[in-house]
Amino acid sequence: MEVKEPDLSGTYTYADYMTWEWDQLAEIIHGKIFKMSPAPSVTHQRIAGNLHGPMWNYFKGKKCQVFLAPFDVRLPSSPKKKADSDIVTVVQPDVCVICDPSKLDDRGCVGAPDWIIEILSKYTSAKDINLKFEVYEDAAVKEYWLVHPEAHTVLVYTLDENGKYKGHLKPFVKTDTISPAIFPDLHINLGEVFSEWES
Amino acid sequence: MEVKEPDLSGTYTYADYMTWEWDQLAELINGKIFKMSPAPGKIHQGISGNLFGPFWNYLRGKDCKVFAAPFDVRIPGPSKRKTDKDILTVVQPDICVVCDLFKLDDRGCVGPPDLIIEILSKYTSAKDIRLKFDVYEAAGVNEYWVVHPEEQTILVYILGDDGKYKGNLRPLVKTDVISPTIFPDLHISLDEVFSE
Repeated sequence: MEVKEPDLSGTYTYADYMTWEWDQLAEIIHGKIFKMSPAPSVTHQRIAGNLHGPMWNYFKGKKCQVFLAPFDVRLPSSPKKKADSDIVTVVQPDVCVICDPSKLDDRGCVGAPDWIIEILSKYTSAKDINLKFEVYEDAAVKEYWLVHPEAHTVLVYTLDENGKYKGHLKPFVKTDTISPAIFPDLHINLGEVFSEWES
Repeated sequence: MEVKEPDLSGTYTYADYMTWEWDQLAELINGKIFKMSPAPGKIHQGISGNLFGPFWNYLRGKDCKVFAAPFDVRIPGPSKRKTDKDILTVVQPDICVVCDLFKLDDRGCVGPPDLIIEILSKYTSAKDIRLKFDVYEAAGVNEYWVVHPEEQTILVYILGDDGKYKGNLRPLVKTDVISPTIFPDLHISLDEVFSE
């Protein structure tokens, strides 16, 4: 049987993406393919888990839900263009929170999550800071966090009334506790997020 | 012979610092001791070298000089007094550029450098982003770069007319080229800085 693998220089939709039979996680941004790193590091996964834990506790029994990667988020270019063949951006954020249950289906999320966290690596920092920043801002993701997992810092961006991200002059550090603007009573202690297991 | 090691909870001046006979690099910030990591990693040192190189080439034959750590920078307090016992802050920035050669003596630099670069690690990020940021801003260091070496990003802060640092919304990444405000014709490719 012929394996259907895409030509990496091509332009694709979510309908194409669903036909690929390759052993590879990938994102599509504006129709272009970005392969995902096959195995994130232990530090990356520990921090993803340390973020997910307090978020999961907080959202239990609430209408918002938190998801860890790999979880496909389809971002339509306009609300009316939700057909698979119209969608040219499909991302897998490290952590995302979705408060509108009608955006969820069996294949993931269609439409903007309310909150996205990306954990940077040298392979993804340019994509996360430039390309995805703009994609998330355009899609109106209300809050976007960029975690530097090795340096133990976090940059926080919040959508302002003009639909543009606003940030802080300095990153947050491990002595800080952060509350997202949209969930002011959720307190994320960065000392715990960056804590390492006793060995 | 008795070895003179300081009590880490004390408050000290540069005059005290010069008397210590211990096998330890340390910084003094507002009189408090901060021990330095004994051996920075390979990635840290690689990036430090890749940043130092273009500055060194550019500054050959010019009045400004570039220094890599360990290099003592004494920051006078609000009194501006420069005697050893009046100085409560002595830092060792990863990279610094000094253009006023009167600030240099045999023991390092006294007064604010024109540009400072700190390369973060999990051990230093809180100190570099909070404590040193405030020290460098108050001292009038014109430009402060904060490098995330593993994630390959750089935050750039430039002193505004009000004496406060201004930054960009987003960090620079490896596809960017950076020029210090004091040397607009020096172009440093971050792809080269982060190359392994």
